[in-house]
Amino acid sequence: MIGSDLSIILPEIVLSLYAMAALIGIVYTGKDAMASLATWATTAVLVAMAVFIALQPAGTDVAFGGMFIDDGFARFAKVMILLASAAVLAMSHDYMLRRDLLRFEYPILVTLAVVGMMLMVSAGDLMALYVGLELQSLSLYVVASLRRDSVKSTEAGLKYFVLGALSSGLLLYGASLTYGYAGTTLFSGIIESAQGDLSLGLLFGLVFISAGLAFKVSAAPFHMWTPDVYEGSPAPVTAFFATAPKVAAMALFARVVHDAFGGAVGDWQQVIAALSVVSMFVGAIAAIGQTNIKRLMAYSSIAHMGFALMGLAAGTQLGVQAMLIYMAIYVTMNIAAFAFILGMTRDDALVTDISALNMYSKREPLKAVALLVIMFSLAGVPPLVGFIGKLYVLQAAYDAGLAWLAVAGVIASVIGAFYYLRIVYYMYFGEEVDELDNTSSPVLSGFLLAGAAAMVFGIVNLFGIEGIAQAAAATLVN
Amino acid sequence: METILLFAPLVGALICGFGWRLIGETAAQWTATGLLFLSALLSWITFLTFDGQTESIQILRWIESGTLSTDWAIRMDRLTAIMLIVITTVSALVHLYSFGYMAHDDHFKENESYRPRFFAYLSFFTFAMLMLVTADNLLQLFFGWEGVGVASYLLIGFYIRKQSAGAAAIKAFVVNRVGDFGFLLGIFGIYLLTDSIQFDVIFANAADLASINLEFLWREWNAANLIAFLLFIGAMGKSAQFILHTWLPDAMEGPTPVSALIHAATMVTAGVFLVCRMSPIMEFADWTQNFIVAIGALTAFFAATVGLVQNDIKRVIAYSTCSQLGYMFVAAGVGVYSVAMFHLLTHAFFKAMLFLGAGSVIHGMHHEQDMRNYGGLRHKLPWTFRAMMIGTLAITGVGIPLLYVGFPVGFAGFVSKDAIIESAYAAMPGGYAFWVLVAAAAMTSFYSWRLMFLTFYGEPRGDKHTHEHAHESPTVMLVPLGVLAIGAVLAGMVWYKPFFGSEQSVEAYFGVIEKQEKKAEIGFTLVAPAYAAGSDDDHGDDHGTSYPDPLPGQGAIYMGPDNHVLHEAHLVPKWVKVAPFIAMVLGFALSWLMYIRHPGSAAKLAEQQRPLYNFLLNKWYVDEIYDFIFVNPARRIGHFLWKKGDGATIDGGLNGVAMGIVPYFTKKLNQAQSGYVFHYAFAMVIGIAILLTWMTLTGN
Amino acid sequence: MEQSLANIAGDYLPILVLLAVAIGLGLVLLLAAAVAAVQNPDPEKVSAYECGFNAFDDARMKFDVRFYLVAILFIIFDLEVAFLFPWAVAFQDVSMVGFWSMMVFLAVLTVGFAYEWKKGALEWE
Repeated sequence: MIGSDLSIILPEIVLSLYAMAALIGIVYTGKDAMASLATWATTAVLVAMAVFIALQPAGTDVAFGGMFIDDGFARFAKVMILLASAAVLAMSHDYMLRRDLLRFEYPILVTLAVVGMMLMVSAGDLMALYVGLELQSLSLYVVASLRRDSVKSTEAGLKYFVLGALSSGLLLYGASLTYGYAGTTLFSGIIESAQGDLSLGLLFGLVFISAGLAFKVSAAPFHMWTPDVYEGSPAPVTAFFATAPKVAAMALFARVVHDAFGGAVGDWQQVIAALSVVSMFVGAIAAIGQTNIKRLMAYSSIAHMGFALMGLAAGTQLGVQAMLIYMAIYVTMNIAAFAFILGMTRDDALVTDISALNMYSKREPLKAVALLVIMFSLAGVPPLVGFIGKLYVLQAAYDAGLAWLAVAGVIASVIGAFYYLRIVYYMYFGEEVDELDNTSSPVLSGFLLAGAAAMVFGIVNLFGIEGIAQAAAATLVN
Repeated sequence: METILLFAPLVGALICGFGWRLIGETAAQWTATGLLFLSALLSWITFLTFDGQTESIQILRWIESGTLSTDWAIRMDRLTAIMLIVITTVSALVHLYSFGYMAHDDHFKENESYRPRFFAYLSFFTFAMLMLVTADNLLQLFFGWEGVGVASYLLIGFYIRKQSAGAAAIKAFVVNRVGDFGFLLGIFGIYLLTDSIQFDVIFANAADLASINLEFLWREWNAANLIAFLLFIGAMGKSAQFILHTWLPDAMEGPTPVSALIHAATMVTAGVFLVCRMSPIMEFADWTQNFIVAIGALTAFFAATVGLVQNDIKRVIAYSTCSQLGYMFVAAGVGVYSVAMFHLLTHAFFKAMLFLGAGSVIHGMHHEQDMRNYGGLRHKLPWTFRAMMIGTLAITGVGIPLLYVGFPVGFAGFVSKDAIIESAYAAMPGGYAFWVLVAAAAMTSFYSWRLMFLTFYGEPRGDKHTHEHAHESPTVMLVPLGVLAIGAVLAGMVWYKPFFGSEQSVEAYFGVIEKQEKKAEIGFTLVAPAYAAGSDDDHGDDHGTSYPDPLPGQGAIYMGPDNHVLHEAHLVPKWVKVAPFIAMVLGFALSWLMYIRHPGSAAKLAEQQRPLYNFLLNKWYVDEIYDFIFVNPARRIGHFLWKKGDGATIDGGLNGVAMGIVPYFTKKLNQAQSGYVFHYAFAMVIGIAILLTWMTLTGN
Repeated sequence: MEQSLANIAGDYLPILVLLAVAIGLGLVLLLAAAVAAVQNPDPEKVSAYECGFNAFDDARMKFDVRFYLVAILFIIFDLEVAFLFPWAVAFQDVSMVGFWSMMVFLAVLTVGFAYEWKKGALEWE
């Protein structure tokens, strides 16, 4: 009994043990001198876990009486989370080492955050959900303020922590309302109570839980922390924030609304559609005023989360599939974009003002083209992969009768195209400014070029992700 | 062989158009011309050895989509064979002629390369035209149809620095679009009803179409009539029939060889070809047939009247072309498709020659086109004069009436035009078509002779310097004239029998009754003598029982069992046969009086009849009416949509949104991003409060 | 269940005794201080004292962050105890899984403790 339960959560256990062993092992030996080793080792472990999970046979396993669900959907999300985290770690290394930021706790905290995320996407119970969420959040609060001597970094960590606590409070309040009215914390039990017309208590519970989760995916109007935290955190941490936790939170969102409130699609559809449309517009409009590329990426991710939520709002299997595809594409694009941003330095200091990119194409034509592809893809310019992702969610929303939402999405993406294209404009038509450093980290360049190539060549078949996402969505929505 | 002759011009066009930088200008031109001559040679071989049996040569599969199945294939039948020789012969000669004509051109700068482009366009046109006539299905035909349209557009606007040439090119293109729209609708209709666009299938189902009604626009129509009508709309556009004719005179802005090739001999006859090709459907569409006759007769008359007063030598010939096309449509409309093709063939020779002759005059006169500035040129341009004289004799229809030595004796135009006029009478004895055509013949004679007299006779007028330097054209330009002259003289007499002989000979020539022979050999031999006698008046319907009527799609053309116009045309009264000749003599005499005997009387007459003269000079004010009804309103709408719609509404709206509203919200949102945690928390609380309120109100 | 008032009173007698002792002890100490101690007051001595801060002052003052560190570390172990109590009370009813779960929990806690110790978080200076 317990043995089979443990075998189901084997990846999580392995990662936890690895994290603790590494923590103790390193703190008693080399400390920060071994940070480099720890980073690479963690990257390797994360990739290994991703491979391990990806190779798991299909099927749904439930552990601990339904508190932990290991299905295709969870595995899809987990692989995405693990790979994204590994990629970010690999990209972080040089950057942090050069700035003397590389503490050995960093990879370990990332690992623990990943464990939390994995728990989130597999949660089958409100308590498991909360534990996973908090494990993730607490780790993220710390990494946000990794650069302790920087006011901005500590401010970022503090803001994130305070607002995160507030959102956790909302979530918990919603969870307790739900528990009170459903009589159980198990999703499988809640769904039986939450059929058809929801009682007011369950409705409130749903709204509060949604609000808490919306904070985690940084959907407007619960997004306000995002730009400040993105800006203040060290750039690799920002890259991390923008990728894996978004996937986890979005997957958790899908898990909750479908597994726990699958009988009341009409109710949460409204909530998510509202969050989606507000996010898309806030993300698109507010970003126009930004010149700091990290804040820009923050608004970009807000807008993108709006699109992903649009897929979720459809409330159908196609919607979940679209959301998964969208997230996969989003993560890929963001990793590539941050691979570029991490290389935007002048005299070894990160330059975040986008005007620094003026006439970048003259100095680094190849990278400029790659960034152009990424920006176009982020903006959703056909025929790049980013466009296909948008097409998927629009299709899902339209099929679900949310044509107005799809139309709003198109308008928002047009508005949002402005600031992506402005970067391209700077690169190709701006005026000369001081050059950026000509650092050519092979890792960063590799990620940038690979991402750009994926955006171009992925249009053939999206690397087969459609079928996998469809199977994954089928396990969640049935 | 057919494949080679079809693709040789394309190869020539590609080599000449894209390869001239590699092989040099002259070599490129010779390549294109040489390939065209090869094509022409093969065409003649094909034509002369062709046995009349329809065959299909598949080149490749093209479209497979649902029930739509289409090949690239060559449909070889008599119609195709005729068109092949017309196209390739004229085209080859025009290529040759262009060496001289295009040798020097003031429209282009020194050292600017334009000749290979010209030759490439010509070859491309030829390819498209061949594609059109060899088509095995409507889509392929439409491909060729549009291909020649493009080539025509490019060639009319060949003088890229000439504003009027560009406008004329656009006009030709746009007016043709109107016709093409009808044509496309016709194709759609056919596909809708027969589930195919293969000619074989369409023809096999042609009889059924007559019994179906089809809903279109506001009412139901007979399907055969409707489809035939729509196809004819397409033909009207391409063949410049009245109301869609306005582009043809303007198309004279192109270089003269282009006018000869495209706007006289080949492309403009595509409409006639289409009607003949679709004869199995036309035969079941009485109403449309009548409409075709009416339009054809009207065009013949209208264009002839306008031709009377034009001063530009090319425009006279252009209106003449328009008028002659009207004749062909009358023939097709009354059901004698072979005669329509006959006139198409002979017309190609003499009209191409007239144009090339006019080109030779223009060339010799340093691009002076106004006939009022010519005069007395027969000494300066002796060979051109002779050729033009032959052409004029041919188009006016000079011959010996009522003499029959196995064939009528006369120039090509005499034989074929008289055949049409007689057919018109036979179809509708005493009907308007006959009289209109005879009147048009008189006018044809008048304006053709007027052209000759103004150009070659009398005193030199206009710029003295130009006249002093007027010179005969080089040999490369005269040779094509000579070749075409042979055709203009002989074509009528040589091909009288197969095109306008007895029904038997025509049907055999067009491959209609070859198959019948096997089925009903006895019946055929029994009936044949009756035909040979040709005097029996009431052999009408009873012969139909003696052997099965040909089915639609057998052979190249189809004449329904009730269609005896071809036969009856031989039986018309003598005065009918003489009528066109008399008309021709009248026209000649009048012309002689006005331009040779009393030069200046024409001007006086014009002075006296000012309104009528202006009416004709301004082409019946058709262009002005179009400007008033279509062009100006369209321009006003365009202007309105541009300024108000696009400029004010769309641009203004978008700019307002993009530069006013969006930045406003950007500012607001960025202000809200104050950096204070309690503001952020406040936003979250407000957000959840709104969500809760909303859900409480709408949820449940 | 019938229980006589006397029985109930008897049950609570020890509390009453303890109460009396507490009151008495408090009085004795207060009086002893008043009688035996050296009376030499100065402003610093008579001011109220709480954790090194003035009781009545602006709350937004700077103070050593190490207080927070200690407080947080305290809370962690405080909560751990709160976790252990119900477990200990229900120990007999808890299965082996429950037992080992707590052991794992404690082990994890220990790892954290070992880390913070080694990191020097427990040292004041």
